[in-house]
Amino acid sequence: MNPPVGLAAFLAVVLATAVIGFYGLRISRTTGDFYVASRTVPPWWNASAIGGEYLSAASFLGVAGLILLSGTDALWFPVGYTAGYLMLLLFVAAPLRRSGAYTIPDFTEARLESTAVRRVTSLVVVAVGWLYIVPQLHGAGLTIRISTGLPSWVGALAVVLVVYLTVAAGGMRSITFVQAFQYWLKLTALAVPVVFVLLHQGGGAAVPAPESVNPTGLPAAGPYQTVSLLLALLFGTLGLPHVLVRFYTNPDGRSARRTTLIVLGLLSVFYLFPTAAGLLGRMYAPGLARDGRSDALVLLLPGELVGGPAGDALSALVVAGAFAAFLSTTSGLVVSLAGVISQDLLGGSVRGFRIGALLAAVVPLAFALATDSLGLAGSVGLVFAFTASTICPVLLLGIWWRGLSDAGAIAGMLTGAVLCGGAMVAGTLLGGASAPAWLAQPAAWTVPAAFTVMVLVSRATKQRIPGTVTRVMTRLHVPERPLASGR
Amino acid sequence: MTRVRVTAPQSAGRRPAGLLPGRDAAVDSDVGRLYVRSLIRSQLRLAIVVAAGFLLVLAACGLMVALVPDLAVLRLLGIPLNWLLLGAGLYPVIGLAAWLYNRSAARNEARYRELVDER
Repeated sequence: MNPPVGLAAFLAVVLATAVIGFYGLRISRTTGDFYVASRTVPPWWNASAIGGEYLSAASFLGVAGLILLSGTDALWFPVGYTAGYLMLLLFVAAPLRRSGAYTIPDFTEARLESTAVRRVTSLVVVAVGWLYIVPQLHGAGLTIRISTGLPSWVGALAVVLVVYLTVAAGGMRSITFVQAFQYWLKLTALAVPVVFVLLHQGGGAAVPAPESVNPTGLPAAGPYQTVSLLLALLFGTLGLPHVLVRFYTNPDGRSARRTTLIVLGLLSVFYLFPTAAGLLGRMYAPGLARDGRSDALVLLLPGELVGGPAGDALSALVVAGAFAAFLSTTSGLVVSLAGVISQDLLGGSVRGFRIGALLAAVVPLAFALATDSLGLAGSVGLVFAFTASTICPVLLLGIWWRGLSDAGAIAGMLTGAVLCGGAMVAGTLLGGASAPAWLAQPAAWTVPAAFTVMVLVSRATKQRIPGTVTRVMTRLHVPERPLASGR
Repeated sequence: MTRVRVTAPQSAGRRPAGLLPGRDAAVDSDVGRLYVRSLIRSQLRLAIVVAAGFLLVLAACGLMVALVPDLAVLRLLGIPLNWLLLGAGLYPVIGLAAWLYNRSAARNEARYRELVDER
């Protein structure tokens, strides 16, 4: 790829992000603005922003790369990423919005009347956020290396700097505009090159079979792996801290549901393109998988298949979209982590929020610089397994089951964190691909274990169920009165 | 213009402001509590039914791709059917499930509202 073109694309995205972030800064006035954009963002904006924030390095680069590597087995990833939002809609969206809480720790503390629960939830949320930022920075390093030839750390450091500056300057209001813009940028940046490549290749007579090509000779995933992966993706989404905080920007429970429906449409349209890119790569550029560049497939595809100035222009567009992905997901995570860190440790001031943002960004940067990427879609899939084993049980049981006690919530979250975290560490030590399936995809046993422990301990500590449970459950589920009600 | 220092809502016990009490007088009477319970139960039942239906479709697709090898051979517009099914065919199902759920959930809430207002 042509280095100046890649660099120009990167700088353009950074500039656009900064400009929109600054525009937002001028209308951030109160602490409410800072944390949740005052809950006055219209559904379409909000849905675009949710989509923009959710579509990370794993979706933009990882999905196509994994499809190139493992074919139809990898098609479950985009389906799971999208269906996770269906589960969020069914079980979490409206009640969580109605809870009126700012963050997940706010929610668990209010539901269970316990500061200990709050602390454990905060720890888990921070762990999830850090784990999720690392692959974004790996993706940024990969993209900057492929597109400009600069060393990987430049990309990771640049993303952290830009994110920190926009977040510290504008809070969530500006983030909402930035994220909404970035959804459409990401969609364009994948759709235009994919359609162009399709038309370009469409003239060819012979269409190679995607299944006849097995670029890596990897064995097919067994049923256990597929089921475990889907469980992680379906139930991991509803526990992601940056996704949840977005729902607080809806004016009421009904609009939270409407927003989620729009998000599902936006995600469905988006995922057609990485899927198509993966299919194209499998048919026409299987060589990329052999030399370990599969995660760079969407970046390299226009250059490999189109070439010339048209290929350069398309590559620049993809690079811009990729950086939009890293920037938007990372800033969403940094905002929600900064909210949690500042409210719990630093007293909740705007200055505390800025220090929290710094902590939220610098720790994963250090981790990303010290490690190498093991496949973007896979490592993000593991983060989903972790949230599905920790935050998902406490949210689902907290919203739907009166019998949850603080002791049960803590025991369940710790069980899930220890089991799933242990499996992730053990799997990495045993060497990624060669680890046994039950360690590589732990969700199938860690999620049920966390739920079981949470229910059993709650049953055993019935006297600890808070007396406010009826009022809180009412608040979560009873529809808001329309503001302009004549009654 | 003067600069104003803004801070997070602070309250005794660090409880986020505005979270309690419940927004309705519904919890103040036995009948009110009963209505709320039945609303929660019907919303949960609805969510579980939609989720189970979707998971069944998902499982059926997975089994079809695994058990019918011909799907990888048959093609529509040059694309093998198994790719079309998993890569594009499931998204409309997700959207349909979400749309149906939204409609029914809103209806449950409207029914609750009517009951409470009649009282």
